[in-house]
Amino acid sequence: MRWTWLAITVLSSTVGDLVSAKGMVQHGELEHFGARRVGRLLRYIGTHPLIVTGIAFNALSFFSFLALLSVAELSFAVPATALSYILKTALSHWYLGEHVSARRWLGAACVAIGVYLIAI
Amino acid sequence: MSPAGHKLRNQIFITLLVVTNTLGNLFVAIGMDAMPAFQPGKLLSYSVRVLTNAWFVSGIALMIVWMVAQLSMFTWADLSYVLPMTASSYALTAILGKFFLNENISAARWAGIALISFGVILVSETPAWTHAVPPPEEEA
Repeated sequence: MRWTWLAITVLSSTVGDLVSAKGMVQHGELEHFGARRVGRLLRYIGTHPLIVTGIAFNALSFFSFLALLSVAELSFAVPATALSYILKTALSHWYLGEHVSARRWLGAACVAIGVYLIAI
Repeated sequence: MSPAGHKLRNQIFITLLVVTNTLGNLFVAIGMDAMPAFQPGKLLSYSVRVLTNAWFVSGIALMIVWMVAQLSMFTWADLSYVLPMTASSYALTAILGKFFLNENISAARWAGIALISFGVILVSETPAWTHAVPPPEEEA
């Protein structure tokens, strides 16, 4: 059962992050964080279709993560969800047009292996 | 914003993401620790019990701060930069799990913590924004 919840957690979090990052890229660089600016940011987040969709997928991921926590230990649940690093790094080039250099891939791979070592 | 300002903004946000993510996960886990295994038939009473748990509710509040801060960062930094950079929260979670939930840190887990730290350093040496065009100016 824990692998089913894990799969739902990882896949929905991957879709959620990619889609909401796409929406945020269109916002423009945030350089100031005054109250009015943050208010406008929250309105942008709450009304942008891509970001709302992304948050919905991340919410799905969160609730399946809670279900996962109820059947597995924290030391299995938390690190195992980080499998999504590889998926997100691979898809960020294709979906977001990011340049994932060799150094960044190596770093992401170290992180993923490290996460696996923590999980076992 | 000056290059030093950009660097400072990155450091502040990475730190904020790691702290809110780690503590958010920990608080939710402590709250869930006190819960019985989930049964779909008892959804309502289960939800009430979860939503009145102080650890769980503070954990959720931290996760909301984490989410908004992470979304903000995506306006000037790559997804493939932000995600590994904040991965040190997994190492922190393992260490906090030892102190607060009495979970063991084995030799393999220590190696994992070291590898994650090395990976984070590697990614920190890559430019935060690699899109073909610079981040669009925010409208005034």
